[in-house]
Amino acid sequence: MLTALWLLPLAVAWLWRPRQAIGLGAWLLLLAFGALGAWALWFGLYAHPVEPAGFEVWKPTVLYWSLAAIMIATPLLGGGYPAKIILGTYFALSTREWRWINRGFATIYAVLGAVNLWVARDASYNDWVGIKFACQMNLLIIVLFRLNFVWLPILAEVSIHLYRRALAAYRVVSSLF
Amino acid sequence: MAPVSVKPDKPVELRWPGARSEFVRLVATGKSGGAGEIFSIEGKPGFLAKVYHTTTSPAHLAHYRQKIQWMVENPPALPQVPAEYEDVVQLAWPEALILRESQFAGFAMRKIAFDRTLELDYLLNRRQSALEGFDADYGKLVTVSFNLAAIIHCLHDKRIAIVDLKPMNVKVYKAELFVSILDCDGFQIAADDFRSDAPQVTPEYLAPEFHDKAVAAPEAQDRFALATIIFRLLNFGIHPYAGVAADRRIYPTELAGRIKQGLYPYGKQARSGVRKVPASVHEALPDRLRELFDRAFAGGAAARPSPHEWTEALAIYANRQTDQMSLCDRGHLKFSARPCPTCLRDALIHGASVRRRSFVARLQAAPARTLKYLKKTLQQTHSSPFQAALAQAQFAVVQLTAPSVSTRNAIALEILWISGLLITYWWTR
Repeated sequence: MLTALWLLPLAVAWLWRPRQAIGLGAWLLLLAFGALGAWALWFGLYAHPVEPAGFEVWKPTVLYWSLAAIMIATPLLGGGYPAKIILGTYFALSTREWRWINRGFATIYAVLGAVNLWVARDASYNDWVGIKFACQMNLLIIVLFRLNFVWLPILAEVSIHLYRRALAAYRVVSSLF
Repeated sequence: MAPVSVKPDKPVELRWPGARSEFVRLVATGKSGGAGEIFSIEGKPGFLAKVYHTTTSPAHLAHYRQKIQWMVENPPALPQVPAEYEDVVQLAWPEALILRESQFAGFAMRKIAFDRTLELDYLLNRRQSALEGFDADYGKLVTVSFNLAAIIHCLHDKRIAIVDLKPMNVKVYKAELFVSILDCDGFQIAADDFRSDAPQVTPEYLAPEFHDKAVAAPEAQDRFALATIIFRLLNFGIHPYAGVAADRRIYPTELAGRIKQGLYPYGKQARSGVRKVPASVHEALPDRLRELFDRAFAGGAAARPSPHEWTEALAIYANRQTDQMSLCDRGHLKFSARPCPTCLRDALIHGASVRRRSFVARLQAAPARTLKYLKKTLQQTHSSPFQAALAQAQFAVVQLTAPSVSTRNAIALEILWISGLLITYWWTR
């Protein structure tokens, strides 16, 4: 059941995937999240609680520094700006603006990864948990941004499509009487 | 009901004025009314006989005899008709008594050519009159109104009133436009030497002062009914008391109740509590006629115009030489210097249906239009500069580009994005 829960959306994503070429940044993000996701699935769903001892403290840092590394490496390798994929490709921003956003993201993730380690070492466990959840605020901001500018247009598109389908069905049914 | 023992094979006596009499045979026509049955008379194709039902009481029959006797001897002087129309019958007036074995049974009257006439009722509906072979226009309607008023004027001169005057009792000659009034034996007579009441009334044509009581002033009643008929003739059949409730007061559902309360909405002065029917064209009628209508329906019984006033007012429109009627741009006859009532009616009727269709179409298209607007707003692809400015104002901070992938592709990407989000959450929790 749990397997179907994550496998089914991924199967849909695979079926409906864009058939165009994927950029380096997207590939790196896919690989990173594929690995991180596999780890999360394995230790979160199937092998819990046999995660390596002491790894809990490193988890946020691994994620933040992985993302920071991708954001720093991809432009250097000529693969564009991964921040564009995270925020959404629909925003009409100049390359310069994307570059600075990407740098901003890289800096934030690098700092968040370091802060996580510093707090875990010098502060109490409760303070570390508090800081860790406070850092998740950046996720919320990104979600709200994405929700407003990406998901709502898609929702409108889908609504229009479904409305047209329903209207056509209504016409067909009403023409029978 | 069976007629008074008149058998087709048995001759009856026709007693003409001056005591001249002859014996004739009656032939059933199959037509029957409330008081009697109609027969044709053998050898007299220009006449019909009305024989009272056997159920008529002797007292009533005796009264009928007196009344018919007086009517036979006192025919009214009717408006003159040109010699070529001398076969036109303006009144189904009793011309001879019918006696069976010396007993009164009914009367003979001139026959109205039904193939050349149609009920005035049909003229209240243009489509119906056209089906009956009568192409009604305002010139003809005014002429018919004039001829009806002229006959009633002649009757009133002789102190005879119709009382139950209604379109069903009036026939119109399709070609000549003269009118014939039926059921003359039901008229009210108030002569010096004879008096007879007319108890029959029709509520839709009954003057307000006679509702729930006997008709004490028959001529005033005729004036009211005449004005009502003329109003309906000139206003596409709309009754002068047909209206729409204008406030929350109780509005009578029956015309009779509205007449009683004087709810006449077509006056020059607005009447509180009632509004006109939207399809009414009374405003296209000449001021003189509107004043007469206002006096008939908004004034008291004393102010009601007489048939003579109506003939005077209508004569100038019924007479072609006066040029008081002209053709509109679409070829309809109308009152000069007034809007064309036929065009006005078309505009009111069709305008309403066009507006209704347009409203329904707008209503049906509203959801799709809303979604389209929403979509254009989100994609910032408004073609109208105003809407574009409005849409851009909403998203001035972030400019969006049109999506380069299909909706399905976008959904696939968002599934991956959400998966990444969940993974991030797991790693940072």
